[in-house]
Amino acid sequence: MRKGWLRDYILKRLLYSLIIAWGILTVTFILVRVGPSSPADKYLANIAARGQDPSQVIAAIEARYGLDKPVLQQYGEYIFNLLRGNWGWSLSTSMPVIELIKHHWIYSFQLILLSSLFAAIIGILIGIYSAVKQYTKADYAFTFLSFIGISIPNFWLGVMLILVFSVKLGLFKTYYDTTLPLFSLANLKALTLPVITLGTGMLAAYVRYTRSAMLDNLRKPFVTTARAKGLPEHIVIGKHVFRNALLPLVTIIMFDLGSIVFGGAYLTEIVFGIPGLGQVSFNAIFANDYPVVVAITLIGTLVVLLVNLVTDIAYTYLDPRIRYE
Amino acid sequence: MNERKETAGKDRAAFHGGGFRLASYYWQRMARNRLAIFGLAFIIFLALVAIAGPFFTPDPTEVDFEAKNMPPVGFTITQSVYDIKTDQFITTRVSGTWKHPLGTDRKGRDMLAMIVSGARVSLQVGLLATGIAIIIGTIIGVMSAYLGGWIDNALMRFTDVMMTFPFFLLLVLIVFIFGPSLAFIVLAIGLTGWTGTARLVRSESLSLRTREFVMAAKALGASDGRVVFRHLIPNVISLIIVIATLSIPGVILAEAALSFIGLGDPTVPSWGIILEEGQHSLTTAWWVAVEPGIMLLLTVLAFNFLGDGLRDAFDPKSNV
Repeated sequence: MRKGWLRDYILKRLLYSLIIAWGILTVTFILVRVGPSSPADKYLANIAARGQDPSQVIAAIEARYGLDKPVLQQYGEYIFNLLRGNWGWSLSTSMPVIELIKHHWIYSFQLILLSSLFAAIIGILIGIYSAVKQYTKADYAFTFLSFIGISIPNFWLGVMLILVFSVKLGLFKTYYDTTLPLFSLANLKALTLPVITLGTGMLAAYVRYTRSAMLDNLRKPFVTTARAKGLPEHIVIGKHVFRNALLPLVTIIMFDLGSIVFGGAYLTEIVFGIPGLGQVSFNAIFANDYPVVVAITLIGTLVVLLVNLVTDIAYTYLDPRIRYE
Repeated sequence: MNERKETAGKDRAAFHGGGFRLASYYWQRMARNRLAIFGLAFIIFLALVAIAGPFFTPDPTEVDFEAKNMPPVGFTITQSVYDIKTDQFITTRVSGTWKHPLGTDRKGRDMLAMIVSGARVSLQVGLLATGIAIIIGTIIGVMSAYLGGWIDNALMRFTDVMMTFPFFLLLVLIVFIFGPSLAFIVLAIGLTGWTGTARLVRSESLSLRTREFVMAAKALGASDGRVVFRHLIPNVISLIIVIATLSIPGVILAEAALSFIGLGDPTVPSWGIILEEGQHSLTTAWWVAVEPGIMLLLTVLAFNFLGDGLRDAFDPKSNV
């Protein structure tokens, strides 16, 4: 009985995610098509300098990119190509976009992973402490600090960290060293400032989420029961209250990925010169390398979609109380 | 006990009809929140600076190579300056002067004038883009809740699609495609930032739609337009004010971030552009990077404090 319900639910979620994915691809296609620039733009100056007829060259270039075909056919080919893994050709780096992404995603991934771990561990610990010691001086101090942490622009924080720790104190390099092997202590050290830059906003948010989720549960009757049974306080807090607070926490943390973390990672990579996808997109913007900018926004969005789907499905396993119709 | 008195006060204020009385009631509730008052005061100050400041400061784009990299008042730095007579670099000590209270950048532009110009940009973008986003979000939310059926379904799936896009990545794409002018940045933020509002307004309207006073209005033969504009929207307005205040900081930060990565309007000095320049002169002029960031931080904090205060003041359940 339960199994059948679960399978139906997962199928439904999958179908729903496919519809959203199609919507994402469509919105992106419309944006690019409606936009005023054409792949021929960057050749115009050259053409004019040589005294050739621009209209002929434009027509030739647009034909090469398939822009002379009917819009619906272009749309079909666009979706078909994306599905086949053909994400276009990056002119500024002379390689397929998909290869470019394969080379650089690991840098973004390590930054986001380390920052998330850093933020989650410290943020959740402070949040628990703050909730248990509600209305004490420490709680007020942490609440105020978390307010500042949420409000601080992360790219500015990055620049300030470079100013203090690299320029004034000379503890770190001002730029991320791309020659370091990925899994090494030196690399970890080089990532210290970027991780703090990206992690601070997340950390502050997690303090607030954890605190309120813990407070929601601290007043529940089962906590009184646990205490009445004579359980030691750390077990009451750790096992009974925190376990129950964890689930809503995980959802919010996953949801933050798209709204806060990806944008933050993009900027952090630029501040520190980490060659992740944000940096690649940034370089592509200045090289007017269309397919790369589009592909990286698409990748980010599809990852968010995937993470949402996995979180949703994991939820039904983790929380036996949840029943969807 | 206290709570009951407050509710009674609220009812009386509402009964005597004036929106003014109600406003003064909410004001009293909010005035008890000191951080919110700080936020409001800072926002008013910033608005005055943005409006009146340009009349008192020099042109922010005016370069003065005689006064490059001047520190703010109260700071002294050692600079090595190329001396044309002796053809050598000489080390001099430079102190800030009141002619440039916040110092100058590497082209000798007045930092105060640039900060004022940046305040203008940030407030303009923050208010206008939020305004657009709130209007779109409210229209979609109310339509979705009120019309229901397949329209509701289609609108909400579209909202889901737009919500899945990481906000900043979508902005980067749009501004990249359509070009970085201030008007377009405002439009782009407005056209992408409405999703949260739409969802909240929809759920609020859904619960209002089945309440007695809406039923009564319908039973008395009120048209759809009347129900929406006289009964639904006035009742979600406090929610909308709170969402608007709390989304302004995100919008201001988004504009600053776009400027910072070079997708800002290059013709107007904004905080993001100054900060980007400052990052490249950290060793010679640290204040260029510090000052716009402090302004950004204070502005974002102020709107967050005010928004939180407003939310508590509007919430009848919270005991301020």
